[in-house]
Amino acid sequence: MINIDAKSHVRGESVYLDDIPLLEGTLFACVYDSQVAHGKLKSVDISEAKQCAGVVKIILAKDLKGENQIGGILPDEPLLADEEVHFCGMPIAIVVAETDEQARHAVKKIKAEIETLEIITDERIAFEKGSLIAPPKKFVMGDTEKAFKDCEHIFEGQTYSNGQEHLYIETQGAYTIPSEQGGIKVYSSTQGPTAVQKAISKVTGLPWHQIEVDVTRLGGGFGGKEDQANAWACICAVATQLTKKPVKYSLHRMEDMRMTGKRHPYSADYKIGLDKDLKIIAYEAVFYQNAGASCDLSLPVLERTLFHCTNSYFIPNVMATAYSCKTHLPPNTAFRGFGGPQGMFVIESAIAHAAEKLGVDKAEIQQKNLLQNDDEFPYGQKVVSEAEQSWHQADHKFDFNRLKSEAEEFNSSSKYFKKGVSLMPICFGISFTNTRMNQARSLVHVYLDGSVAVSTGAVEMGQGVNTKILQVAADIFSLSQERVKVHTTNTLRIANTSPTAASAGADLNGHATRIACEKILERIKKVASEVLEVNSEEISLRDGMVFIGNSPTEMTWVKLLEKCYEKRISLSEHGHYAPPGINFDWSTAKGHPFAYHVFGTAIIGVTVDCLRGTYEIDYVKACHDFGKTMNTAVDLGQIEGGIVQGIGWMTMEEVFYDGQGRLRSNALSTYKIPDVYSVPKEIDILPLETSRENLAIMNSKAVGEPPLMYGIGAYFAIREAVKAFNQNNFLQFDAPFTAEKVLMNLYKNQSN
Amino acid sequence: MKNEYFEDDSVEVCSSESRRDFLKKVSAIGAGAVALEFLEFDEAFAEVPEYVSNPADAVPITLNINGAEKSVQIDTRSSLLDTLRERLDLTGSKKGCDHGQCGACTVIIDGKRQLSCLTLAIMCDGKKITTIEGLGTEEKLHPMQKAFVDHDGFQCGYCTPGQICSAVALLNEAKNGDASRVTENLSVKAANLKLSDDEIRERMSGNICRCGAYPNIVAAIKEVQGK
Repeated sequence: MINIDAKSHVRGESVYLDDIPLLEGTLFACVYDSQVAHGKLKSVDISEAKQCAGVVKIILAKDLKGENQIGGILPDEPLLADEEVHFCGMPIAIVVAETDEQARHAVKKIKAEIETLEIITDERIAFEKGSLIAPPKKFVMGDTEKAFKDCEHIFEGQTYSNGQEHLYIETQGAYTIPSEQGGIKVYSSTQGPTAVQKAISKVTGLPWHQIEVDVTRLGGGFGGKEDQANAWACICAVATQLTKKPVKYSLHRMEDMRMTGKRHPYSADYKIGLDKDLKIIAYEAVFYQNAGASCDLSLPVLERTLFHCTNSYFIPNVMATAYSCKTHLPPNTAFRGFGGPQGMFVIESAIAHAAEKLGVDKAEIQQKNLLQNDDEFPYGQKVVSEAEQSWHQADHKFDFNRLKSEAEEFNSSSKYFKKGVSLMPICFGISFTNTRMNQARSLVHVYLDGSVAVSTGAVEMGQGVNTKILQVAADIFSLSQERVKVHTTNTLRIANTSPTAASAGADLNGHATRIACEKILERIKKVASEVLEVNSEEISLRDGMVFIGNSPTEMTWVKLLEKCYEKRISLSEHGHYAPPGINFDWSTAKGHPFAYHVFGTAIIGVTVDCLRGTYEIDYVKACHDFGKTMNTAVDLGQIEGGIVQGIGWMTMEEVFYDGQGRLRSNALSTYKIPDVYSVPKEIDILPLETSRENLAIMNSKAVGEPPLMYGIGAYFAIREAVKAFNQNNFLQFDAPFTAEKVLMNLYKNQSN
Repeated sequence: MKNEYFEDDSVEVCSSESRRDFLKKVSAIGAGAVALEFLEFDEAFAEVPEYVSNPADAVPITLNINGAEKSVQIDTRSSLLDTLRERLDLTGSKKGCDHGQCGACTVIIDGKRQLSCLTLAIMCDGKKITTIEGLGTEEKLHPMQKAFVDHDGFQCGYCTPGQICSAVALLNEAKNGDASRVTENLSVKAANLKLSDDEIRERMSGNICRCGAYPNIVAAIKEVQGK
């Protein structure tokens, strides 16, 4: 089925936050934010700003009617700085004016006196100073200390992976409208409508039922609008509460980049032990996560790092410890992969380290340690593994040895261009690791004209979740696409939603929709069986007609609905779904947190220009575990996009804060994301052939996050190419591998 | 103190006739600074009034957008993008960065693609502007729009209007034989260039898609160009 937004997208008719027609009298908000990363806020002078044309109100922390707090997990994040500022870009004051330009102009007239305090931007320094968000988390399996004694080979080292700017092309924003009885209607560009509702409730003091959050769609989210959409919605809501007027704030790109958190940078120590057959016997890792100035989603991100610290490999003895380090950067947050990629980069680095020192192919170690069915993860879950299958099917189709020898042949005859090839298996757990978040609801109305309306808690942000949900409903009622509409995500229709995240949106909301539709269908069939005087099992619906067995009847879908109405049968249902069998107990750090895992194996080839340090990604060929894809176009799009974003994180995207905690890569001119040129020249995706059942909607496994991690392979492929040019250099494991870093490494320790 | 470059009357923006109108309009609201690049200093400031009560409605202009004449009063500093989105209810063109770095605001002006965020609306007086809303109709999509649908050339859709406008204008460039950085033979201006993947990539590299739908975008353009 074609993406349901296709036509409106290509005609420019899709409505995003910034496109919502404004009501008469709408005011505009703009934030005055801290220029200092850490300091005492001595005073804020708004006198001049107040005099500016069009300014209606200037709001400071003391003006809030509710609590000055938007922390979702820990209450450590004020909406507006009060006594201290904790990062550059921290909101201090909100200017509300008649026009956007006036608000922005007045912001420039605000002055704050800030006494600078010690600024920490580095996670390891924060760790040394004991600046942690929460106590560390730890996974233990087996006994690493004992196991290391039996290891033939032991390697230790450090890795670093930098953050990543989300750079959704639609910036953050919100539009709030006063409603009756002191309520507020909120349009927000958020992945978590309930999170927005909860945060607004806190800062305004309004109960949840007074706050309606509506989300049309997002112009990209990638995790950046999971928790970080809250602040802007709160700012507008507070302004609406205090002015009784509609208020809009759509962030400028540079405000967005400066004021919002990004993917967490991680520094890590690893120790890997192998036996003489290259089996990994023991693995220890210590992760230092740069959380930024407050918790945000750092703790669950940290946990997912631990959950994925062994990637696709079975390691009998594991000890992984993770610290969430508090620094003076904007609070870092969810980003596609949610800490998983950072964990996987470390184990891949450790394996590369071992392979390079032992003089073996990295792929040999990777392959020897792939998860087998029923192997246990460090967190206690036994795996239903497709790791070996995806590896072998990829090898069979793409022929690893051929690709590698082609690269070697090329390198032997090319002096200044070198090719590198790397394999990247992935294993990614699907479900929120916080078990209680794994629930969703769907409201389905069948109207008497035969059309169907579906509302769920899922937020459409390009991942095609609404297309999949529509497919579920259309399939169950056997209706054409045009007769079903998936409506905006709205907290009045669907309450207590989990954010659309963890790749779980389609599974959770799709199943909830399935349940709702099936319940309605059951009732409708019962009516049909009464009217047609046959057993309800013999009734089926096909393309708007009622069938008995394989024979069509005179009864149309619409006529049947009329009969239902006559008999006073409900044609609406609120479906609730909670995936069975998942649990996790942090007191033992064991359980069965994931409904299933997604597997895959990619082979990535690159060519490095050894005079310039630049490189091209020649190909990414992967065998990917879709389960059984319910929408090939949507899923392939997710894979291609995920690969490109993962490669961006590992290669060209360099978030840069200076020592004062100021973001220097603060625009698209200084922060480069993949353009059409940086895409692999060839992307070839082979669906894994498997007949296994899983808990995914229509057996179609989650596809949002897993492919991003294929991008890690690009890092190691470049590493191979650099090594082919310069054998004297043991490279640091330091991502992203920008062209500058490549160039420096090409000539490091080179005698000529 | 003259800006030699713009003294050349062949420069479209300041062509002799429209230049006078331009001057009048600029000076009317005192936004001379904006025009300094195009003007002599003394000339720019000669008629600056001391105070303008409502610069937002200072200057009337008429834009030819999607085949229709639209009259609107604007601040001379207004970008075409803001004018389209905020004053003319044409929200198809998107603001991704407002700095000409993302391409989401691309529109077609007199057959050429332009970044509407870096174009002053007043510069477009009398020019023919096509936005995404003006391509194709509800019933019959423009071939490029259809190709984007067929090839799934989008995910979130936010960059899509810019991508499509850029791609449509790119077809004109190919038709005219305009060279790009990767064009092999620059000595021959060959009309009706058949664009290779490399050519398409090079010419589309100003339009960023964070969802990474690039392979499908290239495929869509290739299909239309091949027809």
